[in-house]
Amino acid sequence: MTRLPVVKGTLDLLVLRALSWTPMHGFEIVSWLERAGGGSLELEDSALYQAVYRLEERGLLQAEWGVTENNRRARYYKITPAGRTHLRAETKNWVEYAGTVTGILTAAKSSLPDGDAS
Amino acid sequence: MIRAGIRRALSLALRRRDRWEREVEEEIKLHLALRAEQLVDQGRSPDDAYAEAVRRFGALTESRARLLEAARHREARMQRTEYLSDLRQDVTFALRTLRRDKGWTTVTILTLTLGIAAATAVFSAVSSVLLHPVTYPGADRVVLVYQQPAKGNNTGINVTIAPPASLVRAWKTGVHALEAIEAFAQSDLKLRTTGDWLDVHATRIEPSFPSFAGVRPVIGRMFTSSETATNKREVLLAEGLWRSRFGADPGIIGRAITLDDSTYSVIGVLPASLRLPRVGSSTPDVWLPLDLSDDRYGTSVVARLRPGFDAARATVELDSVFARVSAAHGEKADFRALVAPPGRQVSFRDSLMLLGYAVALVLLVACANVAHLMLARSDSRRRELAIRTALGAGQSRVFRQLLTESVLLAFAGGALGVLAGWIGLRAILAASPTSLPALTLAHVDYTTLGAALAVTIATSIVFGVLGAIHAGRDSTNEALKSSTQRSTTGRGRVRQILVVTEMALSAMLVVGASMLVRSVANLQHANLGFEPSGLYTIRPSVPRGTFRDNAARGAFLRALETRLASVPGVTSVTMTSAPPGWWTFVIGRLEIEGRPAPPPTSTEFIRVNRIQHGYFGVMRQGMVAGSEFTDTTDAAGQVIINAGFAKKQWRGESPIGKRIRVAHEGTEPWRTIVGVAAEAATGGPVSQEATAALLYSAAPDSVTAALLVRTQGTADLLQPVQALAHAIDPGVTVKVLSVETGVADAIAEPRFVMMLLTLFTALALALAAIGLYGVLGYTVAQRTREIGIRVALGAPRARIARSVIVGGIALALSGAAVGLGIAHWGTKVIESQLFGVARSDSASFFAAAIVLVVAALLACIVPTRRALAVDPMTAIRAD
Repeated sequence: MTRLPVVKGTLDLLVLRALSWTPMHGFEIVSWLERAGGGSLELEDSALYQAVYRLEERGLLQAEWGVTENNRRARYYKITPAGRTHLRAETKNWVEYAGTVTGILTAAKSSLPDGDAS
Repeated sequence: MIRAGIRRALSLALRRRDRWEREVEEEIKLHLALRAEQLVDQGRSPDDAYAEAVRRFGALTESRARLLEAARHREARMQRTEYLSDLRQDVTFALRTLRRDKGWTTVTILTLTLGIAAATAVFSAVSSVLLHPVTYPGADRVVLVYQQPAKGNNTGINVTIAPPASLVRAWKTGVHALEAIEAFAQSDLKLRTTGDWLDVHATRIEPSFPSFAGVRPVIGRMFTSSETATNKREVLLAEGLWRSRFGADPGIIGRAITLDDSTYSVIGVLPASLRLPRVGSSTPDVWLPLDLSDDRYGTSVVARLRPGFDAARATVELDSVFARVSAAHGEKADFRALVAPPGRQVSFRDSLMLLGYAVALVLLVACANVAHLMLARSDSRRRELAIRTALGAGQSRVFRQLLTESVLLAFAGGALGVLAGWIGLRAILAASPTSLPALTLAHVDYTTLGAALAVTIATSIVFGVLGAIHAGRDSTNEALKSSTQRSTTGRGRVRQILVVTEMALSAMLVVGASMLVRSVANLQHANLGFEPSGLYTIRPSVPRGTFRDNAARGAFLRALETRLASVPGVTSVTMTSAPPGWWTFVIGRLEIEGRPAPPPTSTEFIRVNRIQHGYFGVMRQGMVAGSEFTDTTDAAGQVIINAGFAKKQWRGESPIGKRIRVAHEGTEPWRTIVGVAAEAATGGPVSQEATAALLYSAAPDSVTAALLVRTQGTADLLQPVQALAHAIDPGVTVKVLSVETGVADAIAEPRFVMMLLTLFTALALALAAIGLYGVLGYTVAQRTREIGIRVALGAPRARIARSVIVGGIALALSGAAVGLGIAHWGTKVIESQLFGVARSDSASFFAAAIVLVVAALLACIVPTRRALAVDPMTAIRAD
């Protein structure tokens, strides 16, 4: 299985998506991403925390200390209304963008000279 | 208090830094632990699992540093955002509360505005006219140098002498305490423009003058040397004239202009910023070379003190050089140097200082009023603050809230005050009499402005904060329990003291203002001893050199005199050496026959007026004893003296027939007193009674001789007189001055000062009345319940009204007592400005008390009506 590096800027989107259902602490977000991506995303765990801090700084997330099921103190992150708006807008952008790029790439392939295509 | 606050803020920041660092560490640790557990669940050995967790996290040292950095960034940004949003919230909230209390807000801002405006306007004038009148380099070391008679001037008139050019030359080389000495001489010339003549002010200067004053020619060059420039007839134009008359034409250089009847060649233009150092002197239009080798000139002298030397030292050196020069010429050194900063010699100085003091008092009243308003507000808001605290607003948050309100108010008042001050100064300048040219220097001065702003803003903030602290200190419970605010009597007292202070300050101002009002009334109705209306002086203004000698001047004037009779409206004409507004003196010792002669060293200034027969008739000046001259020949030796001098020397006895003479180097012949003339205040009304001698003698030929004309109705004399003068000597033009206008000018300054002082007093009084109104209103509000009970128990309403009014009057009178007490000493400041009013003038003090009581009564109206309107049922139920 090939591991895909995360395209710059999309990690923020993924984190917001993760938190759009329920507040989570850092490791929960990581685990969710691994599960949701089927383990195909190549990502250092620390990068996630950086993304989270960045989002918090921009007011898209809010942090609060809470307790895990096993009674451990953890920093829980919750998406803010601003974060939700951001997620909605950026998701739309991303889908359109990805669709367009995909469309161009697949269309271009069929028109390539045969010699090159082989 | 502030330092403690800063320390707390710092420790807060430190704690926060410590906290978020620990949080990042904790987060990493938890993450690694959870990951390791997950791996163990998947069947790895614990050691292996931890290593794998770390590997997946990313190189630990590096990523930790990165995370810490990201967290630091986040914290800083969030703190900032939080602060800004708090601030925005504070400001919005403050604006809302201020808007809710429209009346209070308006009064507070108005108080600040008026205080700052008055202070800015007057202090700016003081600062620019008295403290910084010149803009030359090293301005604080620039001094004017005059000479004054060493002794004997007891005429009460300030006599300064322009030192002759030869002395200035000696000073330039011989006085070490002055690093530079510049001489200048002013004169009036006529500039020939296309077919017409324009009056211009000319100033003669040496080539080094512009660099002394820190300027260079705008175009062209300066004189190279005075001698060459004089020989070549070079002239520099002032920028103003160059722009207005020559359209700022750069081609003016090398052109010829005609001044009087000589042609000069323009070599340059000096900037408009070059002003003469003497405050109030007219701005020059043309600059001519001053040739110091020509001893005919008396010059004005400006100098710069060498750093480390003072005026006293310079005076000593100037005097010793003068003594040496005089000895070399075999003359007596009768004069002493006077070295003074330009601001010291301003005629308006005393008045301006007086206004400065007055405005300082106004500013104090404004500050007291602001303090009082701030305290009143925090009192009335105790409940609101208590509720907010109870609902969980932190003490510091409430504190910040009040501070924001104070700062907003201070800024609003400050901005409006500066604007109003600027307009006010303009208005003062516009209203100032033309006899005060010094005032035109006044402009809004940023130091002053800053100081006035600082004082008022500090007051509003300090008292806003004090009020907040007070309000915060009261226990929340208690404030909530009692709506009638029984626990605030202490602060009520502070506010009463503030109001009494305001009243006291106002009382001082009212005393001063009423004294000036009375003084000006006296001036306006003063008996001058002669009739100024319909009286004109005619003096030749000679563009072409001077008359050959005094006799020539006399001959011209006599010729003019005989022809004047034909001018319609002229009823009588006479000649005098000292027409109203002018003084002439002889220096010497006045000896009275039969009395011991004064010692030879005691020379004095003796006023003389050389007159013609008929002078007293034209003046409409009465004779107290004796008669006018019966014989005007010199041999007859007749003299008339003034009443003040006669009274002093011959109390009760008749001086007629007594003989006097003036002794100086030689001795004049004895002169016989034939008459005693009533005192005539020819220089306008003055406060001292003239006991110094004034000798009227015959033979009016003198360098200052002029004609005095009495007319019927308002005659326009200038045209016909000018025509007559031209007929006699085409080279002579004449000046016709109204004596009445001159006398009016003399009282223009006191009247102007009186108007301003009255205005400031009204301002202070209005503020004080507002303060009193506030205190009374507050007291009535506090007593609502009590008043309600009294009314319910059958107390007559009149008694309630009386209690409020008596309270108000009591405060006003306490203030008046304190203020009048201080004014008793304070009127020293105003004494020199008074005419016919004693410093202890009881009428003024009495008037002040009355005015204060009236102001207090006005302030009582609304609170009294409110007290009368108390409905017993609601008042009692309210609690």
